[in-house]
Amino acid sequence: MSEAGPPRPRIAISVRSGRGFLNLRLNPRRGQALEAAERILGQPMPRAANTFTAGENEVYWLGPDEWLVATGAKRVSALGSELAEALGGFHAAVNDVSGGHVELLVRGADARTVLAKGCTLDLHPREFVPGQCAQTGLGRAAVLLAAGDPSTCTIVVRRSFSGYLRRWLAYAARPRGARLPAL
Amino acid sequence: MLLIECPWCGPRAETEFSYGGEAGIERPADPYALSDAEWADYLFFRRNPRGAHRELWHHAQGCRRWFGVERDTVSYRIEKSYRLSGAGSGRPAAAHIEASKEKRR
Ligand SMILES: [Zn+2]
Repeated sequence: MSEAGPPRPRIAISVRSGRGFLNLRLNPRRGQALEAAERILGQPMPRAANTFTAGENEVYWLGPDEWLVATGAKRVSALGSELAEALGGFHAAVNDVSGGHVELLVRGADARTVLAKGCTLDLHPREFVPGQCAQTGLGRAAVLLAAGDPSTCTIVVRRSFSGYLRRWLAYAARPRGARLPAL
Repeated sequence: MLLIECPWCGPRAETEFSYGGEAGIERPADPYALSDAEWADYLFFRRNPRGAHRELWHHAQGCRRWFGVERDTVSYRIEKSYRLSGAGSGRPAAAHIEASKEKRR
């Protein structure tokens, strides 16, 4: 009988650094405001609840009049100013919330199985399909969860919860051979 | 655990929500026209029926919107949930005060 080596991790947890975030609020019934924002973003805004669009930035639906724009940390300030200027004539708000959020990537064949340990949503790739996102609970933290391809999930979490969540993820992933990500 | 249907996000676990009490209670337009008893009634007294109940829920861990739910307080069965915007979602204060007077007679 041959000696079995340690299990090869089928999950990787990492922090996506260098990210910036904008909270965007406007009334989608004012079609022109939506279009003005889209011109600046260079991509469509998600109209359907709990979906996101990926292009130069990721734009996540947060509520019927609220979105989160994820972009590069170097770009966020200029993008925020451009959006604020384009939306100046509308009842709208653009806020830089980069300081408050951390983006995590959970990748691998076991990614969804591990996330499901602390989440009440059905995360099966048949149910939580690419392009879908959801604000929900993971462990004890409130998170924004987004489905990339079937083996990749993005998590946006409050910075003050990110240490806890990374430890929670590492603990949940340990039987799958993952190691604690750098904090 | 209740499975509550958020009008925007669909069915979600109860742990994502917080409860907001009886729905449709409007602030009296002219508080000074009310007696202390009527004002206290508006502030503190709720119907607490056995059976159908219209109540407020907040999708706290989700889209963070308030919405209305019609729930049976005996079976916990949720008959429907609905968005609050639009006419007819509230109950005039006068009617509320009348109803609560009725209740205590
Ligand atoms: Zn919701």
